[in-house]
Amino acid sequence: MNLSPELVKGLTIGLGAIGPAVGLGLIGAAAVNSVGRNPEAQSKIFTMALIMAGLVDAVMVFVLLIVFTTK
Amino acid sequence: MNYLTHFAADSSVPLASENVFSVFGFSVTNSMLLGVIIGLIITGVFVVSARRLKIRPGSRFIYFIEITTVFILDTIKTNFDGDEKKARKFLPLFLAFFLFILFNNLFGLLPGMGGTIFLHSGTDQIPLLRPFTTDLNGTLALALIAMSTVWFFAVKERGAIPHIKHYFSILKPWWNPMNFFLGPLELLTELIRLTTLALRLFGVIYAGEVLLRVITILSGNFAWAGTVPIIFMEIFFSAIQAYLFLMLSTVYLAMATTPIHDDSPDSSHSPSDQKMTQVEAVN
Repeated sequence: MNLSPELVKGLTIGLGAIGPAVGLGLIGAAAVNSVGRNPEAQSKIFTMALIMAGLVDAVMVFVLLIVFTTK
Repeated sequence: MNYLTHFAADSSVPLASENVFSVFGFSVTNSMLLGVIIGLIITGVFVVSARRLKIRPGSRFIYFIEITTVFILDTIKTNFDGDEKKARKFLPLFLAFFLFILFNNLFGLLPGMGGTIFLHSGTDQIPLLRPFTTDLNGTLALALIAMSTVWFFAVKERGAIPHIKHYFSILKPWWNPMNFFLGPLELLTELIRLTTLALRLFGVIYAGEVLLRVITILSGNFAWAGTVPIIFMEIFFSAIQAYLFLMLSTVYLAMATTPIHDDSPDSSHSPSDQKMTQVEAVN
């Protein structure tokens, strides 16, 4: 099979971004939902959501690293 | 179009750090150089401010450093279930982690890092300074220090045999055959923690450097305007990643050093108690 590296790189980014995107959406939805239920805890929920977003971002970063290291 | 297809690693930020000079056959890379410089700066600032420590802070700068220390202490204490003594025991290590990572990340955004000051060696140019956290060796070393602290104190608090045994006794009757399969997976988790701790920090900061370079190339003459939002995003990510490293390593340490079969909730968590200790820490 003869695949061009550009196609492989594009597919890696595109397919690899699906999971983190869904994860970030779930985090955002849950954060907004819980702030709606309990507005006093907004700052706590916000920091926790940021930490979780950082954890999910790591998956996207692994994908990016694979793209960067592929020639 | 040419820039888009060759946007990363080939032409812009190299994945590995370059050798600047060597001492007794031991090569010193540009990331190690900046790491040592920042380590010296942080040590100097903390030594000077510790010498001038008073009950009422003499200057705003020392007050700021005290606030930072108390913030880290509170974060660690929350993860250790409000155990002040344990938090103070581990404070120096985690404060050093947090500040070292944060300042390395932030220094990478200053002019003069990465691709401005070059060192000529033969035909190619070598950047003189490179942030310590954009080098996988550096972040792996940091993660190794954090995880070996976790392993050392886990063995010290629990003993070697019970610590190994708790990996293989997750499901309640110890003779449950699933434990035989879950044990190796749990042991693998320790290695995965080490790898992800290193790769997460390296990946986010390195990807930020590459992103800055790509935006600079794409925006051409307007790079001074195009990179401003990316710089702000990178400042945000620097702080988040430093905090995340701190949080994850303290959580791993807290999980590994609590007694194994302890289901009773900790009762030392009253708010007035916490406020008192905070005041004491500030003084």
